[in-house]
This record gives sequence, structure tokens and C-alpha cells, in this order.
Amino acid sequence: MSEATSQSEPPAKDLIGSYFLDLWLYTSKTLALKPETELKSEFEEEGEESPTALDTLNSSGGFSVVGPDKLSLLYPNANLHGHDVGVVQANRPAPLKRLLYYFEMYVKSAGAKGQISIGFTTSAFKLRRQPGWEANSYGYHGDDGLLYRGHGKGDPFGPTYTTGDTVGGGINYATQEFFFTKNGVVVGSVYKDVKGPVFPTVAVHSQNEEVTVNFGKDPFIFDLKAYEAEQRDKQQSKIDNVHIPQDASYGIIRSYLQHYGYEETLKLLDIAGKSTVPPVSVVPENSLNEKDGTYALNQRKTLRQLIKSGKIDETFSTLGNWYPQIVQDGTSTTCFLLHCQKFIELVRDGKLEEAIMYGRSEFDKFKKLSGFDDLVKDCAALLAYEQPSKSSVGYLLQESQRELVADAVNTMILSTNPNVKDANLCVHSCLERLIRQVTACFLEKRSLNGDQGEAFQLSRILNSGKKG
Amino acid sequence: MATSKKVITRVDWEKKLNDVKVRKEDMNKLVMNFLVTEGYVEAAEKFRLESGTEHIDLATITDRMAVKKAVQSGNVEDAIEKVNDLNPEILDTNPQLYFHLQQQRLIELIRNGKVEEALEFAQEELAPRGEENQGFLQELERTVALLAFEDVTNCPVGELLDISQRLKTASEVNAAILTSQSHEKDPKLPSLLKMLVWVQNQLDEKATYPQITDLSTAALEDPAS
Repeated sequence: MSEATSQSEPPAKDLIGSYFLDLWLYTSKTLALKPETELKSEFEEEGEESPTALDTLNSSGGFSVVGPDKLSLLYPNANLHGHDVGVVQANRPAPLKRLLYYFEMYVKSAGAKGQISIGFTTSAFKLRRQPGWEANSYGYHGDDGLLYRGHGKGDPFGPTYTTGDTVGGGINYATQEFFFTKNGVVVGSVYKDVKGPVFPTVAVHSQNEEVTVNFGKDPFIFDLKAYEAEQRDKQQSKIDNVHIPQDASYGIIRSYLQHYGYEETLKLLDIAGKSTVPPVSVVPENSLNEKDGTYALNQRKTLRQLIKSGKIDETFSTLGNWYPQIVQDGTSTTCFLLHCQKFIELVRDGKLEEAIMYGRSEFDKFKKLSGFDDLVKDCAALLAYEQPSKSSVGYLLQESQRELVADAVNTMILSTNPNVKDANLCVHSCLERLIRQVTACFLEKRSLNGDQGEAFQLSRILNSGKKG
Repeated sequence: MATSKKVITRVDWEKKLNDVKVRKEDMNKLVMNFLVTEGYVEAAEKFRLESGTEHIDLATITDRMAVKKAVQSGNVEDAIEKVNDLNPEILDTNPQLYFHLQQQRLIELIRNGKVEEALEFAQEELAPRGEENQGFLQELERTVALLAFEDVTNCPVGELLDISQRLKTASEVNAAILTSQSHEKDPKLPSLLKMLVWVQNQLDEKATYPQITDLSTAALEDPAS
């Protein structure tokens, strides 16, 4: 018996198994809620709620009247002085974890004097003053077109606005500015010198002034998406000037293909790389990294193909021949993943009775694994539906599940390399480590910035279309 | 006076890293995007089979690569014909690209010692373009200057004969085709790498934490104490 198999399973190997088990659990929790949509919207993932209506709990001394839909505001009486402004905040502060926040106000009637305004205020704001007249508040006023930011004297800012106009107020977390628009055109911006949450705010002050507010339920007059793209491009051009080593990407792609065992693709890439003009700097074939990268490449490719075609029995027997140490402990996580996959494949083929028998005979011995209950429940749930792929556990029938199992087996094989000191290093490819690092850095940067601004989202990068 | 930076230990940082979940299919898409935009046709097709990642129709890549190769080998007439077969609008809407292709044709004629043909070509095809555009005129004059020198490789405009000039033109054509097909002209991976370098520099101002300095290994280096 070889040295490798005569040792008992080192605990490190099951760290790999449990990593993939945790990944499956995470997928189960996030995908099981919404079977159709795989990705939550970017904003849902951040878990922040947005303003949806005007606040009616903190009333401004009753000078103005909020309509029953909570999206309109009217000043019924004549105003007498500067402390009877009909000012109302939104029901929630503006969310922080995004690039921009924006809302609009439509002036239905400028009433007697058109003393309307739009802006942002904090929770401490005196709800009887125009936004901008008090510290930590900002307001763009319709009667004089000035921007007020903390005292009674405003700064020249933009045009006045009146009946029929739509004005918008926004926050740009990247530049730390408030910006305002009129009828779809940016009027200007000002530095946001206020910490903590701010509330979108509107105000009316002369008789019969009436406005309606839009927090996003209806399309905006202003093309927010285009503005957002513009702002992103500005940030992007700063990043574009960063220098990275030439062929860095090529090397990372190669290492990715090696790591996951995409042997045929790697071969073709290497051939192509040699014949480009100029040839890509080829990795010296005997370097240590190269040897570790190509360890068991052919075997890993073969096993991935078997799993991706659903041939689990053959997977077990092949592993038994080539890497018995991986499957010799029948209660290991790897075996659990493979047995579950076999169950799933039986359901996919419509062999429900066989699946049940299989589950009964195999699942029990894995009872001690963490997550066992939830995952076996998910598998068993497949039996309950006529169209399991459309159910909440439909994710199990997708390629991604086969992929997970294939990746787990791939990592287990990589860990049998005697040169590998830390089995954990086999789990993530270089590319994955880079993505984790950039994501974590952006999150930390945001957290140190009062949690304002957007996180790094790989899906956004993938879906962006930066046309030449 | 240094402001105090937040110190994040390796252990804490690794916890943050472990909280990041990367989807395998997103990584596959990134790889496919690289193979496609860089024009590795066979590798892209094989990757589709090996990983199940979908992509745009490969036929368009083959055509695009044929054009690129033609320019890289100095067969500019052939390249122009192919581009027009693909999409006649590309050259119509890209006067600068068309000029550069014609300039490359001139360079090739000069390289092959066809002096009379070169002069004729310059006068009939390129001079009219030069009249419309000052920049083109200067380029034209530079190119024609090649004829004035005995030792072309060491003359002031010798770089025009260099292979890098062909590559520049080939890149330009490649990008124009990609744009006309509504694809981005640059792969996304280098952009991601730049973001990593950029954000680490930014974060460096406020915190001490493990960083990645070698992109090819993605090894985490402990913060200098």
C-alpha cells in the first residue's frame, strides 16, 4: 500500500470538502428563495431600503398637507413668516451603498409666490424652515434659483423654477456631492458637507403651492442611467491609467485553465500564444509553478468531464482506481457530494423510485455533516414536483451544481500533490483570489468612508458594455 | 505627522476574504471574454465545450482574425477587401482607420522596392486624403520620406518599416470591427487587475492590511509591521 493511502485521512482534506459544502449551503439559501431569478438586484443584495413616500409621522406643524398617496404636498393657507414653511422629508433617508441616489419633484402649482424648494436635510432638521436655511441642510429654491446650504443667504446656482417644471435632487457618493436637475438637465452640484444619513426633502411656503414627488416609482424626467454611466466612466478613466505588467492577464487565464483542469483549452491557448505577434512570453516549462499547475491535469480533466455528463458511478470507480485516498472514507464530504449528485441525476432521468432507494441506502451515513439536514431536504424536495426544474430547488438540476461537485473533486485531486504544503491553497484559483481581494478592498474602503458608495460587483463588470 | 491607519491583521483580513463568494460561472465568463476579444478562436470554442460557457457566434471571430493576420503579414489590400466583405460601413465611418490602412499599403510598396508604384499610389490615393486633413498630410509626408534615404532602417522615419507599425494598424482594424459588431474592444480582465492595483493604493492611505503585489501568483503579503 502506498504511503499516501496508508495514512488516515488528514483533517486538512476535509477542510476542502467542508468548503464546498458551505458553498452549496450558501447557494441553497440564496437561490432557493427565487427560483427564476438567479441574481438578486444589486441593491437588494446590499439590504438597504429606499425612500418610497413622504413622511407623515414627523409633521411640520401642520402648515402643509400631504396627499393621501403620500406623494403630493399642498400649502393651503397664506404664510405669515419664515417659520411656517410646509416642509416634508421622505419616509426614509437616502440609501448609501450605491454610486448615486436621486429623486424628483414636479411643481403642479407655484401658487402665490412660488417659494418651493427641493433638497436634503438631516433628522435633526427643524421642520418649519426651508431646506438650506439651517445647518446641515441643503436646498435649491424655485423662487430665486439659489442654493442654500446652512444659512439664510443662498449662493447663485441655477435657474428659477415654477409651475410645470420638474426638478431633481441627487447625491453622488463617489464625488461626495449633491447635484440638482431641472427638466432633465443638470443644473449644478455642491460639496456634501454633512455626515450621516440625509433625507430627501421638499418644501412649499406660499398659498396654493402644490408639488408631487417621485421616488422612482415612475420613470424620471432626468436620464439617471446615462448620468450614472458618465460618472462611472470618469472613475474608470482614472483606473485606466494604472500600469499592469504586460501579459499578466494571459498568465492568469493560463493558471485558471490549469487549476480547474481545462486541459484541451490550455493546449490550444498555448499553441495560439506562441504564434501571436509578438509571441506571448511563454512560461518556462520546468518552473515549479508550472509543474504544480499541471499536476494530474489529464486526470482532472477526465473526472470533470465524467461529472459534467452525470456519470457518477463511473466517477466513483475512476477515483477508486486513480485516487483511492479520496473515496476510501465513505463518510467524507466528497462522497456525500457525489452521492447527492447521483441522486440528482436519477431524478433528472425520471428514475424516481431508483432515486428514493439510492437515497435511503446512501444518505444516512452522512448524518453528522453540518448542513446535512438542509441539503438532503433540498435533494428530497426534487421528488415532490412534476417539474422540479421550475421549483425552488430547481437549482440542483442546473449545470452549476454539477460544476460545484466537479470543482470539489478537482480540488481534492490537487491536494494529493506531495509538493502541496497547505491543502487550502488548492481551493481557489489565482483569478478567484484576485477577485476576492479586489472585492474585500472596495468593501473596506467603503466602510472607512461611512459606508457610502458602491461595492465591487463582478456581475456589473461582466454586463457593462463599454463600447469603443 | 502621520494620521493613524487602521490595522487589519492577516487573520481578520482572511475572514473578510472568505466572506466574498465568487460565482464560478462569472469567472468562466471572464475567461471566455478574454479568449474571444483577444481572438483565440480555437481555444474559445474548446472552452465552450469544456466548461459549458456560452459566447457570441465564433464565425465572426474567424473573419476578424483573418483581417488582423492579413495586416500583420503586410497584405493590406487583402485585409481591406475582407473588411469590406464583413461590413462596408466600417471603413466608410472610420476615415482615420482607412487612411492608416492605405498608409500601410504605401509602406509595404516601399518596403518591396516598388518605387514608381509607391509614388503613383501616394499621389492618387493618399494625397487627396491629406488635403482634407492636416494630420493625414503630415503622416503622408513622413511615409514618402522613406524614399529619400539609402539606409531606410536607420533613417528618422525608419520606425514606419518596423513590424510594430503593422501591429498598430492591425490593432486599430481589430478594434473597429469589434466596435461595429457592438462588442467591447477590450477584454475585461486587465481592467479588473487595474482596479485591484488602484483600490489597494487607495486603501493603503487609510489602512494597513495584507496586499497582493504579484498579480501572477495572487499571493497575500503580510503588512510590513
